[in-house]
Amino acid sequence: ANDSCSTMLKYRCSGCIAVGKSLNSRNFSKLLHSCPYQCDRHKVIVEAEDRYKSELRKSLICNKKILLTPRRRRQPSNQS
Amino acid sequence: MFKGQRGWFCGSVSPDLRQFWVAEGGTISDARAADFLFSCDASHPDTLRIYQSTDYMEDNATVFHAYYLSAVANAEIKNSVTLGHFILPPASLQKEIRRKIGNFIWEQDQHSSIEKHDAV
Ligand SMILES: [Zn+2]
Repeated sequence: ANDSCSTMLKYRCSGCIAVGKSLNSRNFSKLLHSCPYQCDRHKVIVEAEDRYKSELRKSLICNKKILLTPRRRRQPSNQS
Repeated sequence: MFKGQRGWFCGSVSPDLRQFWVAEGGTISDARAADFLFSCDASHPDTLRIYQSTDYMEDNATVFHAYYLSAVANAEIKNSVTLGHFILPPASLQKEIRRKIGNFIWEQDQHSSIEKHDAV
């Protein structure tokens, strides 16, 4: 973060100043993502959640691939 | 204060917070239709289902700690409480987040009941 402006920007994080507006569970995440001045607190939470979401997405794609790829299961052979 | 808003409540939320929501004009709905998602426990199966939903993945579902409602109930000016401070992230992330930014705001309310001796 830029030290020069971090103190000033700390108070401009939309996650922190948005009070009494029509914020809810549906628009909050988008609001935070579109805020260029996330405070440390919100930045850490957003980054962690984003990582969680991308891992979830990856695992879903993997699952789908497995489901969509017709592959005959080979019986594990006992000869080795 | 919550007139016309639909709220979903995880099984982990105590009935009095739910009642407060209704008393303030909110209605109870299922998770898909809700404007607000409230939980008190990120590892409760109800809430886990949210974290695994497409809505959550696509940034359309933020879970808030239901202590937001008690903060509103206790605030002098009801809509002065910052909803954004009550984000409830998945349980698996909380340890890491706590390490970086300290306790969550909704944990600070619990100090009287739960004594923590974590290293700072
Ligand atoms: Zn903030």
